[in-house]
Amino acid sequence: MIDYTENIRKISGDLLKNGKVDVVIGYKRGTLPGINEPFLAKTPEDAEKLVWDSQCRLNLANYLTGRKENVAIIAKGCDSRNVVTHIVERRVTRDQVTVIGVPCTGMTDKNKVKQLAGGEILELTEKNGKITVKTRKGERSADKSELLQSNCANCLHRNPVINDIPFADPVPEINTARNDDEIKKIEAMNPAERWAFFDDLLSTCTRCYACKNACPLCYCPTCFVDESQPQWVGKGDDPVDVRTYHTLRAFHCAGRCTDCGACEAACPMNIKVRLLTGKLEKSCYERFGWEAGLTTDVRPALDTFTTHDPEEFIK
Amino acid sequence: MKILHIDRASWDKGVLASAETYQLTGPVKEKDFYEFKDLKKGEMPDMSGSDTRLSPKALVFPKSEVMITFSTDPNDPECNIMKETKKEYPKRAVIGIRPYDARALQLLKLNFDNGDYQDPYFLKAYDAITFVGLAVNQPSATDFSTSCGTGPFDEKGLDVLLVDAGEEGDYFAKIITPKGEAWAKAAGFTKEAGSDAATRIEGMKKAAEDQIVSTVAFDKIAKKTILELFEADHWESTAFACINCGTCTYACPTCWCFDIQDENFGTKGVRIKNWDSCMTGLFTMHGSGHNPRQYPYQRTRQRFMHKLKYFTDKYDQGIMCVGCGRCVRQCPANIDIREICKTMNK
Amino acid sequence: MTDFEPKIITFLCNWCSYGAADLAGVSRFQYPPNMRVIRVPCSGRISPKMILAALRKGADGIWVSGCHPGDCHYIEGNYYARRKFTLLKELLEYQGVEPGRIHFSWISSAEGVKFAQVANDVIAEVRKLGPAKHFIKGAPKEIAA
Repeated sequence: MIDYTENIRKISGDLLKNGKVDVVIGYKRGTLPGINEPFLAKTPEDAEKLVWDSQCRLNLANYLTGRKENVAIIAKGCDSRNVVTHIVERRVTRDQVTVIGVPCTGMTDKNKVKQLAGGEILELTEKNGKITVKTRKGERSADKSELLQSNCANCLHRNPVINDIPFADPVPEINTARNDDEIKKIEAMNPAERWAFFDDLLSTCTRCYACKNACPLCYCPTCFVDESQPQWVGKGDDPVDVRTYHTLRAFHCAGRCTDCGACEAACPMNIKVRLLTGKLEKSCYERFGWEAGLTTDVRPALDTFTTHDPEEFIK
Repeated sequence: MKILHIDRASWDKGVLASAETYQLTGPVKEKDFYEFKDLKKGEMPDMSGSDTRLSPKALVFPKSEVMITFSTDPNDPECNIMKETKKEYPKRAVIGIRPYDARALQLLKLNFDNGDYQDPYFLKAYDAITFVGLAVNQPSATDFSTSCGTGPFDEKGLDVLLVDAGEEGDYFAKIITPKGEAWAKAAGFTKEAGSDAATRIEGMKKAAEDQIVSTVAFDKIAKKTILELFEADHWESTAFACINCGTCTYACPTCWCFDIQDENFGTKGVRIKNWDSCMTGLFTMHGSGHNPRQYPYQRTRQRFMHKLKYFTDKYDQGIMCVGCGRCVRQCPANIDIREICKTMNK
Repeated sequence: MTDFEPKIITFLCNWCSYGAADLAGVSRFQYPPNMRVIRVPCSGRISPKMILAALRKGADGIWVSGCHPGDCHYIEGNYYARRKFTLLKELLEYQGVEPGRIHFSWISSAEGVKFAQVANDVIAEVRKLGPAKHFIKGAPKEIAA
C-alpha cells in the first residue's frame, strides 16, 4: 500500500510552491493519541506537517465554506461528496477548489477504540491495517476493520467522486446497497415506543451544537436556533426544545447529507444523531432515488422535483 | 486537622446514614459517562469512575434555571411584577467531587459573589453544599491541575478530602472544615486514623502529583498587555480547526457565562438563566445586527483571552482553569488549551 | 374522550385551498369548527419550522393544503412542497408522532365540496387520536398551575 501521508505532503507542497493554490486544508497530528487536528497549510513548510490516517474523522469540506482563495482540500469519499454539495450550493466554485482525493478505507470509531483500550489511551499507532493502543496496563491491537465507525462500515462511496490529483488507486467498495438495519429497527416500533426511544437517545444532549457545527452542510448565516423573531426553539434544557432542535437540524440536512459521520464523531455525549439524518437519507433514496453529492450536474433532492413524485399520503 | 479512617463496610452504612440529614449528590454512570446526580434513597455514589463527563458546576449553576416568574394577566393583582422563584436549598453533601473541580467552583464564585454582584441563586446553592472530595491517585495524561494552582489532592475547595487508603476500598477522610466535621458526624464516621495517616496521605499526594505529565506556564501572559496578546498574529491559525461548538464551555468547570431568556406561556412567564457559550455568534450579537465577534476565530480567541488573561488581571487568582483536561479530551477538533497557553506565553 | 374538541392548525394556500374554504363557506357546506386557518401565499412557503411551531404550541393536528400539482400559482411551488412534506411526515412519524396527526391535501378553489369533505375527515381522524402528546412545549413547573 502506498503511503498516503507522504503523497499528501508532496502534492500539497508542490501545489503551494507552484502557486497553484494558496492554501491546503488537511490534517496535522493531534496533541492526543487517536485524534488529528484540521489544519490549514499555507506554505510548503506547513505541508510537511500534513498527515493522514484513520483518525481523520471530521469532514474537511466544513472548512471550505466561504473561503475566497484557491484551495486544495484533502478529501476522502464523503468529504468529496460534500465538496460537490458546496459547489452545487455555490459555497465555492469548481475552479477554486483542487481536490486531492483519498481513497478511503474508513475511519475508526472513537468509542470502539476507547473500548479496545479499556483505559486511558497513552499511545495509538496504526500499521498495515492494525490499530494498536497503549494504556497503563499494556498494549492491545485490533484490525481496523473491526473498529470502523458505523457509517464507514456501511459506506457506499469510499472513493472520491471528484479527484483532481489522484495519487492512489481506488479502493474496492465494500457495500453495494444501503444498510438501514438500525433505522428499520426503530421503524418497527409503535409510535409511543419510537417517541420514548428518541427521548432516551437525546436525554444527555447538552445542546453544545457540536453536531451542527461539525457538519459541512450547516452554514446558514443565522441558524434557526439563533433566530429570535419568531423564536423557533427555546434555549433551555427542556426536552421538547432539544427534540425540536434535533428534528430541524436533521431536516436541514435532508437530501444533502452524505453520511460522513462527522456529527457523531464530534458529539461529546456519544449520541447517535445519525439515526435522524439517516432516516431522511433513507427516505430520499426510497422516494426519489436520490443520493447526495455524487455529481455537480443535479440539484439536491429538495431543490428539485419531478411531476410524478410519490404523493399517496396527500388527500 | 483530624483524619478519620473509614473501612469499606462502614463507608456504605455511613453514607446512607448521612442521607437522613443531607441530600446526597454523587457520580452516577448514565449511559457512557459519569455525571453528578442527586442520589435516590439507598443509592450509593459510584466512586470508581474517572472525571464526570460534565463538570459538577451544574450543582451551583444549573444548565437552565428559572430565576423569576411573572404574570402578564391584567386581572392578576401581581401583573407585571417579577417574583424570585421560591426554591428549596436542602443541606447537600456532594460526594466524590474531584479536588480540582471543587477548586473550580471557588473560582466560579468569584464571578457570582463579589463587590459588584451577589447572585442569590448561586450563593444559596453553594452555601448549602458540603464538599466531600475524593483525591485522584491516578491522574489522567491530560490532567495539568498542578500547573493551575490546584491538584489531585488540593484541599482548597473541600470540606472533607477522602483518600483511597488502598486497602479494599478503605478511605482516609481528612476533615478540613466544620461543615465537613458535621457531615462526618451525621455519617457516624468517628474512628480516627493511625498516627501515620498524615504521612501516608502526603506520600500518596506526592506520588499522584509526580504522575502528572502535562504542564502549562502562563507567567509571561500575565506580564504581556492585553492588546499584545489580542492582536497577536497567530489567532487565525490557532483557531483554524475550532468548529465553535460549545463542547469545551459546557464541559468546563470554570466557564460561567450565561444568557437570560424570557419564555411566555399564555399570560404567565418565566425568566431563565441558561448556560451560554462564547463560541456561538449569538453570544455577542448586537440588537443592531452588528457582531463584534463576527468571525469564528475571534470567538475562540475570546475564550482563551478570558481564561488566561482577563480573569487573571481582574481577580488576581491565577487563570480561569483548573487543568482538569475535560476540554482537551472532549474537543472534536483537538483544540488544546495547553498548546494555546504555550503559544500565548511565548 | 367524547368531549374532546381537537385544535387543528390549517395552512391554506392563498390561491386554491383558501378559495375552496371560501366556496365551502358560501355554499353552506358543513364541517366542525375545529380548524384555525393560517393563509399562506403557497404551500411551498411552508417551512417545517412552522409545523413544528404549531405542534409545540399544542396543536392536536396539522393540515396543509395547496393547489393541485400543475396548478400552482407560482408554477412549481407545490412540487417542492410535496417533496418537503414527504420527508417531514416520515421524519415526524419516525419519531413517534402518530400517523393521522399531520395531513396534506390538494384542493382547488372550485372544490368546495372536497374542502368540507377533507375537513371532516381530518377532524374525525384527529379526534380519534385524542389530544396531542408530543412536541408540546409545556410551562416549567415554576408556573404550572
